Amino acid sequence: MSFAIQNSSDQDALLRAGIDRSLRHPVMFFMTSGAAWLAVSIVLGIIASAKVHRPDFMSGCAWLDYGRVFPSHINALIYGWGFQAAFAILIWLMARLSRKQCTSAGIILTAGHIWNLGVSLGLVGILSGNGTGMPWMEFPSFVWPVFLVAYTAIVIGSFIQFRVRPEGHVYISQWYLLAAMVWFPWVFVTANILLHCIPGHPLMAAGINAWYRSALIFLFFTPVALAAAYYLAPKVTGRPVFSYSLAKLGFWSLALIGPWAGMQKLMGAPIPFFLPYVGAASTVLFFVPAVCAAINILRTTLSSPEVVASSPSLRFMITGIGGLVLLGFAAVWLNLPGSTLPLTQFSLSGYGFEILAIYGFFSFVMFGAVYFIVPRVTGREWLSRRLIKIHFLFSVYGIITVAAVALFGGLQQGMGQEEWQQPWQGAATRAYPYAVATTIAWCFILFSNVFFFIHLALMWLRLGRRSLHPTLLVSDAHHGPGPHGEEGDIDNAGPGHAVAH
Amino acid sequence: MSFRTFILGLSASFGAAWLAIVVVPFITMRNLEPIQLSEANDGSTGIFFPKRTGRIADGAKVYAENGCYLCHTQVVRPTYAGNDLYRADWGGLKADPDRGDTRRETNAYDFYGEKFAQVGVSRMGPDLSNLGRRVESEYASPLEASQWLLNHLYNPRREADRWKSTCPPHPFLFETRKIKGNPSDEAMPFGAEHGEELVACAEAKALVSYLLSLKKDQAVPVVLNFAPPKAKGAR
Repeated sequence: MSFAIQNSSDQDALLRAGIDRSLRHPVMFFMTSGAAWLAVSIVLGIIASAKVHRPDFMSGCAWLDYGRVFPSHINALIYGWGFQAAFAILIWLMARLSRKQCTSAGIILTAGHIWNLGVSLGLVGILSGNGTGMPWMEFPSFVWPVFLVAYTAIVIGSFIQFRVRPEGHVYISQWYLLAAMVWFPWVFVTANILLHCIPGHPLMAAGINAWYRSALIFLFFTPVALAAAYYLAPKVTGRPVFSYSLAKLGFWSLALIGPWAGMQKLMGAPIPFFLPYVGAASTVLFFVPAVCAAINILRTTLSSPEVVASSPSLRFMITGIGGLVLLGFAAVWLNLPGSTLPLTQFSLSGYGFEILAIYGFFSFVMFGAVYFIVPRVTGREWLSRRLIKIHFLFSVYGIITVAAVALFGGLQQGMGQEEWQQPWQGAATRAYPYAVATTIAWCFILFSNVFFFIHLALMWLRLGRRSLHPTLLVSDAHHGPGPHGEEGDIDNAGPGHAVAH
Repeated sequence: MSFRTFILGLSASFGAAWLAIVVVPFITMRNLEPIQLSEANDGSTGIFFPKRTGRIADGAKVYAENGCYLCHTQVVRPTYAGNDLYRADWGGLKADPDRGDTRRETNAYDFYGEKFAQVGVSRMGPDLSNLGRRVESEYASPLEASQWLLNHLYNPRREADRWKSTCPPHPFLFETRKIKGNPSDEAMPFGAEHGEELVACAEAKALVSYLLSLKKDQAVPVVLNFAPPKAKGAR
């Protein structure tokens, strides 16, 4: 709860509560379902990663062949967890910022179940040996129209809410959410129609696939995460965003730079020369919107160190923004044509960069938003600060390992690959320790997310604490009455019943 | 800024890139002009058409379904983009008995018969552009090339010098069946109990046929030949 709320009128508080109540079922569905898919994808990721350094692990089962389990892992992570977390945050944030209750909760829930069905059928398709062989688009080709229809049903309500919002300030978060809502279908329809429906040159198909992968990261996951961060930072600290001009610069630089990135993955392939170079240049330039947004958001929170120390939402969100800074540096470090790009182009760096984007940046910010939104939407507080801390710590251990793999391991492997006078075995051997590190990192992340899923499921079942006091990371027993009154016992009988010490 | 301006700005910034790097290149590359060979420069007439024999469509489907593209690439990069061409057997053969140095970078006509060029995600394993060449001239003898590939697919670590390979085994592309009458010609030389034989399924055969078709070191017309002048002497 921010200090600024003390000055809001009761009417405003009632409006907010009404919005939260109207969104309870869709938001909790997407969050819990997404968290379940996250756990599934991490298990698949561990199996896949183990097979890189121990190829005979579970090798009897066709469904667990590396070439099937790895695409399942990445597709479950993106479409199962990534999109559903994004939907939860998108519909809640747009409703709150547009001051409108959600009137299409039923449609959204149905569409959410259809999305889940699509992901499940898609995963069964890949594991049974019917994948399409196009990275990040391995679901059999009947799945993408299902996703498109479900997506439209889920976000159309938010788009309408924005259009009928009351007169007033348009928040930075709303620009990013609108942009994501426009960019994603454009990218998705383009890639799927050009790759599945219209025959074209095989190399351009590969190039457009590479563009699609980059566009998902820069033009969907990044804006949704930034929307959440630009909401949480001022809301939780009670301070205004540090610089409006920097926010505008960050947004429009992302809009200008993001759409060009991706084809550097085909550097050296016989496609028009400028395509990979433009891709590399814009990926390197991603540094600009990343750092602009990061500076802006971090400076906003810098003014309230005690709130930062105690709020779980802020801790996760700030770590996510730290992940964004790292991502910006990695984008430069890994994509310089002529020096590092030949080394990283076909190495572990690609995967490491993607996981840094999806987990190190996007997921951490989403976790921050989840820890903020769920108490408001369920009317209960989180049960245990220890569960939150475990979730945080083990995820951080895991993602730091992944970052190291991406930044250093991939370069090491690439250097081995470029040593053309040595037999190939040398390059493969260099990758080995980083493959082991990746498996261990995913194990840490799985451990942390099991606790997250349990905690979230308990909240979904309305088993959270009934209390006026939010679950903070530091107990403020030493600091006298805070804005919520005296610290009390667990208050399950309802407000006013517990005895305060 | 009004909503209309916002959407216009968003559409312009995205649309420019969408047209410039996605739509227009896609449309123009759909109808790639075949290269006319000229008698003077190339020593023959007609068009440049790198032929591929084998079950390309079926095999490419098995390749895609089993995720081979995750660890293997199919692009030999020019020297400004990497050291692929320096390797003795990636872009072709450095010392082909008939043609000398046949190595070349990949060109746009090399993916004929495939809908999606499996350029590849990473190189845990070597590039496969000229796998057919490598298997036939280096790996297989004294075995037949397709038999060597089937053995490798069944268990890549069977061979002593590949004990560290991380290529996954594919026993599910093979089946064990009872021997009826005489053992089949195409039975694998291992892997079955007495009275039974291990045979490759149709998918394994299609994949092997596709892999053997990967020979991308044909002579290229002068316009596609970026080899340094010294090497151009060899034809």
